[in-house]
Amino acid sequence: MKPFLIILMLMSTSNLFAQDGKATTIKKTFNRQTSVSLDIQADPAIIWALLTNASDFSRWNSTVISIEGNIAKGEKIKLKSTLDPERTFKLKVKEFEAEKKLVWGDGKGKREYTLQEKEGGITRFFMTEKIGGLMFPLYAGFIPPFDEAFEQFAADLKREAELIQKGKQ
Amino acid sequence: MNETQLNEEFEKIRPQLKSYILRITTSVQDTEDIVQDTWLKANDKLHTFKGESSIKTWIFAIASNLAKDHLRSKKRWVENVTDICKEAALGNPQFFQEAMNIRMNSPQGNFEIKEHIAFCFTCVSKSLPLEQQICLLLKEVYDFANSEIAIIMDKTVAMVKYYLHTSRAKMIQIFDGRCSLINQEGICHQCTELNGIFNPKQKTQEELIKIQMVKSADNPDKEYLFELRMDIVKGLDPFESGAAALQLHHLEHNRKVMEDYLK
Repeated sequence: MKPFLIILMLMSTSNLFAQDGKATTIKKTFNRQTSVSLDIQADPAIIWALLTNASDFSRWNSTVISIEGNIAKGEKIKLKSTLDPERTFKLKVKEFEAEKKLVWGDGKGKREYTLQEKEGGITRFFMTEKIGGLMFPLYAGFIPPFDEAFEQFAADLKREAELIQKGKQ
Repeated sequence: MNETQLNEEFEKIRPQLKSYILRITTSVQDTEDIVQDTWLKANDKLHTFKGESSIKTWIFAIASNLAKDHLRSKKRWVENVTDICKEAALGNPQFFQEAMNIRMNSPQGNFEIKEHIAFCFTCVSKSLPLEQQICLLLKEVYDFANSEIAIIMDKTVAMVKYYLHTSRAKMIQIFDGRCSLINQEGICHQCTELNGIFNPKQKTQEELIKIQMVKSADNPDKEYLFELRMDIVKGLDPFESGAAALQLHHLEHNRKVMEDYLK
C-alpha cells in the first residue's frame, strides 16, 4: 500500500476516535456516527460485566435510566436514556462476543461496544453509534447530539470499572 | 490427605459451613441436608483433591455448588422482605405465641438487637442475585480472599470483584434507605419494635447505643457503616448464640412467607 494511503487511513481512524474520552461525530446526508474511546485501567471481564448486566446499568451509568431484559445474543432489550427520557428504545442484541464486542440496535441504527486488551492491565474501550437510512434527512434535525452523553457514558464506565478493579483484595 | 484428616478438617469448619449454608438457604432442614451431602461428596471425591487450594476452600466449593443446585429453581427474595413478613406475622397470632414460648422457655430464646441485625441482613441479602450473595458472604462474613472465592465460585477474580462491588453497593443502598438504626428517615424499625415486645423492661435506647454501628450512624461514610454491620454478622453464629432459637423460628417464618409471596 502506498504510504500516503496509510497516512490517510490512520488520519481517518484517529479522527473517528479522537482524544481520550472526547466524542466525535461525523454527519453525512443519510447517516450520523458518534464515537468515543478511552483507556480503562481494568480487566476486560469487569468492563464486560458492567456492559452486560442490564439491571445494574442505571446504578453506575448516569446516561441510562433503565435497561430491561437480558443482554445476550439475540435477546431483546428495552432501554430508556436520559437523552430522550419519554421514549423506550426496543433493541435487539445483534452481536455478543464475550469481553470483546457487543452490538445492539434497531432498524434505524446500531450501537457498538468494543474492548481491546492492551499491556499494563489497560483495556481500550470504544463505543460507536451509527444512525441513518433513506428517511434520515427527514428526522435528523429532531435527534439530539450524542457527544456529551457519550463522553459521560465513557467517563462513568471508566470510574466504575477502575473502582471495582482496585476493590478490596 | 486421607479420610481421617479430611474428617478432622471437616469437623473444624462444620460450624462455619452450617451458618454459611443457613444464610444462603434460610432453612435449617436444608442446611442440615446440604452440609451432610457436602461431607459425603467430599469423602467420595477426596481422590480429586490435589491441594491446589486449602481443604476449607475445596469443601466450601462443594457446599456452594450443592446450595446453588438446590436454589436454582427458586426465586430470589425482594428488598422489602421485612415489611412483607411483618405484615404476615401480625396476621398470624400463632407465630407470636410460639415466639413467646421460645422466649420464655428456651435457653437460646433471648432477643438481642444485634442478633436481629444479623437476621435482617440474612433476609435482605437474599434479594441479591445468588452469585452476588454468595460472594458477599464468603468475603465479608467468612473472610475468604478474592482468589479463594474465584475457586469456590469457578469464576475469574475480576468477576468476583464485580460481584462484590455490586452486591455491596446494593446492600448499602437498601440499608441506607430502610434501616432506621443508621438513617432517621429509615422506614424499618423492626429490631427496636421487637425488642419492646420481647424485652419490655429493657430501655431500647440504652441497648442501641451499645452497638457501634448505631453509635456511628451520623458518619456519612456509608461503606464504613456497612463494614460495622458486617462485623455484627461476622461475630454471630446463628446456631449457637443465646438468641438462636428465637431467630431461627423467625427465619423459618420469613422463609415460608416469602415462598408463598413469590409463588
